[in-house]
Parts: sequence; C-alpha cells; structure tokens
Amino acid sequence: MVSVAFEFVHKVYRQNRFFLFENPSRTTYALRQVSFSVERGEVLGLLGPNGSGKSTTLKLISTILLPDSGRILIQGHETRREGQKVRRDVGFALASERSFFPRLTVRENLEFFAALEDVPHREIPERIAQALRAVELIYAADKQAMKLSSGMYQRLAIARAIVKNPAVLLLDEPTRSLDLTSATELRRLISELATRGTTIVLATHSFEEATSVCNRVALLNKGELMAEQEVGGLSSHNIEELYREMTCEQPRSTELLRVTA
Amino acid sequence: MGAKLFAVLKKDALTSLRYRSGFVLATLAQAAQLATFYFLSLAIGPQFRPDGMPYLLFLLVGTGFYTFLVAGMHSFLRTIQESQQAGTLEVLLTTSTPAPALVVLNAISAFASGMLQFAVCILAAIYLFGHTLHINVIGFVIVFSLSLLITLAIGLCIAGLQVATHKGSALLWLLGSGSWLVSGTLFPTAALPRVARVVASCIPFTHSLSGMRLALLAGKTPGLLHEIEVLALFSLMLVPIGVGFFSWMVQQARQNGSLCFY
Repeated sequence: MVSVAFEFVHKVYRQNRFFLFENPSRTTYALRQVSFSVERGEVLGLLGPNGSGKSTTLKLISTILLPDSGRILIQGHETRREGQKVRRDVGFALASERSFFPRLTVRENLEFFAALEDVPHREIPERIAQALRAVELIYAADKQAMKLSSGMYQRLAIARAIVKNPAVLLLDEPTRSLDLTSATELRRLISELATRGTTIVLATHSFEEATSVCNRVALLNKGELMAEQEVGGLSSHNIEELYREMTCEQPRSTELLRVTA
Repeated sequence: MGAKLFAVLKKDALTSLRYRSGFVLATLAQAAQLATFYFLSLAIGPQFRPDGMPYLLFLLVGTGFYTFLVAGMHSFLRTIQESQQAGTLEVLLTTSTPAPALVVLNAISAFASGMLQFAVCILAAIYLFGHTLHINVIGFVIVFSLSLLITLAIGLCIAGLQVATHKGSALLWLLGSGSWLVSGTLFPTAALPRVARVVASCIPFTHSLSGMRLALLAGKTPGLLHEIEVLALFSLMLVPIGVGFFSWMVQQARQNGSLCFY
C-alpha cells in the first residue's frame, strides 16, 4: 500500500509579491515537478545538500506548506483538500528547541501535545511513558524543557511525534545533535517503528545515515529529484558518487587515507 | 474538546504560576485601577449620574467589561504572536486540532483570567464600595455570551491577519482605541457629537457595554432587549466571517510558506 505519494509537485517561494506583480529574481524554486512514492513500513531517506528541498518536502507532507501544483497523497488523503485527515496521520519531529513550552516539564509538554493530537485521555500517561522510554528520556520526564540539552530536545521532538502513533513519521536530520550511542539507539528505534508498519521519511545530508537506516534513498538537488535507489544493491554506488560530486566531497577512500596520514 | 480545553488551561496555569512576578504585578495593577476609579468618582461628585447610574458603578462595569472584551481580542493576537516568536506555531498547526479551534482554545484561558478581573470589579462595587446592584441574571448571561461570541469572531480576524501579514496588532489598535473613545467606557455616548454617536452605534462593544450595565444595574428594561437584539445580529454576522477569514488566512500562509516566519 502506498503511504506517501508525490505527483509532479512544484513549490516556489515568492518574496515581496505585490498583488499580481512579482520580482522573478526573488523567486526560489524549492521543488520542481517532484514525483515519488513511499510504501507502508518503508523508510525513505531524502538526501541532499543544504537548500536541496529536503525540509520543504517534509513540510509539504505535514501540510505546513501546500504545493503550487501537482498533488500529494498521504494515506490516500490529498493534502490540499483533506489537510485535517492528513495531519491526523502524520507525526513531524520538528527539533527546534523553541518549539516546546520552556517552563513546562518534558511530561507536561507531551501531555499538552497528546491532548491536541486526540490521544484518548486514559492512554496519555502510558503513551508518554512508552515514547520517553523509546527515546531514552524517561529519566528527564519531570525536568523543565528549558533545562534540556540540544540532544535531549532532539529526542523530545521525536517522542512528541511518536506519542500519537502516526502512520507516517517525518524526521528532519534526527541525529544532528546526538552523540554516537544515542544516534545508534535512534536508528534502532527507526527500524523498529518501520517493522511495526510506520512509514518513515527522513531528511539528512549524511550519506552514511541515509544508507544505514533507509530502505531507499532519494537524492535531491536544487529542488529536483536527481536519483532514487534501493539501499544495499550495487546501484547505491552510483548515488553515492553523484551525491559526493554534488557536495564536492572527496570519495570516502581518499578521506580515510588523509585521516590516517 | 473538553480534554483539549483542560490541557490548554493547565498549560497556561502552570506557565503563569511559574512566572510568579507577573502574577503579583497583575494583581497590584488591578488594585491600582480600582483605587483610581474610586477617587475619580469622588472627585466628580455624586450629582453626576450617567444613564441614571452612580458614576463609580458606570465606570466599574464599563471599564471592567471593556477590559475583558479587549483582553479577549488581544489574547488571539498574543497567542499567534507568541507562538510565532517561540516557534510553536508550526508544530501546533500540524496537530489534529483544526486551526480555528486551536486559537480559540488558547484564547480561552485569557478570557478566564479576564472574567476573574471583571468579577473582582463587580465584587468591589458591592463589598468594598457598598453599592447595590439590580441584576437581571438571564439578561446578564445573554449579553455576556453574545459579547463573547463577537469578541471571538473579531479575535479570529485579528489572528488571521497576524498569521498572514504579521500585522494583526494594527487592527487591534484601531478597534481597541476607537472603541475606547466612542463605545461609552468612561462616559455615556450621549456626550459625543452626532457623527461619533452614529459610529458608536456601529461598534458592537457599545451595545455590549450598554447591555451589561442595563443587565447588572437597571434590572429588566426595554433597552436591554434592544441591546440583546443588536448583539445577536452582530454575532450572526461576525462569527461565520471570523471563522472563514481565519481558516482562509492560515491556508494562504501554508500556500505562501509564511507560516514558519516571523
């Protein structure tokens, strides 16, 4: 079953638009005719350098943004016409430290968002405990949000997204502020959620992260879908070369030699 | 919806309790306002009875209810502004709760605190300053509910402007200062020139204040029924406009990508 489907999606950011007049030099093409689909329980990695359209893609799935043309279907619901149904199915781990209420504790923050997400009142404590255990933040449940570190915020954002048991989970650079152990644990959690049927779309600019947790990788550059390939097959070498060319990175073997030297 | 309302009230109560200094300052400000009105009415003297009411009661009911309504409108703007600045807006708007419901829920705790302040004004009139009220309970409930609906509708329009253009404060300032001048908060509208009286009659808050004074101070009068009719007409017009406008503005912001910026 297709869980997320992009059909010729086009998204443009226009600045200083005055009625029908617009300054073309201030127009940014965020996505150009992008089409892809993600099956239920699949983990898709959106890979690309900064400004490639990864975050825009996630925002379009979550309905924070609406497409200019083309259409996006989430669990069969179209984002433009059935936004409310889409929002019910999607959990977005927005990791901004500012997206929590600083004076509330970790638990109180999650209680608030769980209520807004229509989680049944009786299930809220158990769901919160499960989510906090999953991201290994249960020990900080009664700590005020303003006292958390960046990595803890990151994990709290993921807990907030999974507390509603979403059909589609969106992760924007989920291991950005995490140490190695936490990052490994998070990758294990992602695999576990996918096994349980959660569709996951993960944006990252780390090739290693994309290939370690995702079933498939979609390579974006300047709003265009450059390539899309299964992870693990011989073909993933092509996407690696393309990505490293795009970001002007040295091939891994050369980097390794330099580090060793 | 009850669980969501409880969650919002709990979040706001915990936040304000943890900002203790703000809570104390708000209480002191209310006490200072009551003292100001008392001494102002003393200075003007007992012979001035606007609409046949003691001036202190006229002031307390008028200003108390006006503050409640404007604070309610302001809470819509504040809800959006704070969540834009804090970065919670885009997270809130990706939840399962519809955007207009979300903003109304967040404004409700401000209404609750405004209602408390209004109640303090009324109780001060009775117990501190020794006045007797002739309360028409049904009239009070109807005027209060209709005024609340009108405030919600205008608040949604202000919130919509804030989401799309980040300039909702301009509309709030225009409505707030305009109605402060002409809606009969500090003095009766009869004191205004004819043109200003016509303008005043087109502002719903004029009828809210007049209706509230009649319901609390004059008991059952034909004037109260008239004010209720006018308020009902305003709410019938404004509520669909407010909900529609806000939903449209949020949709525009999602389309333009301006939801995340401040």
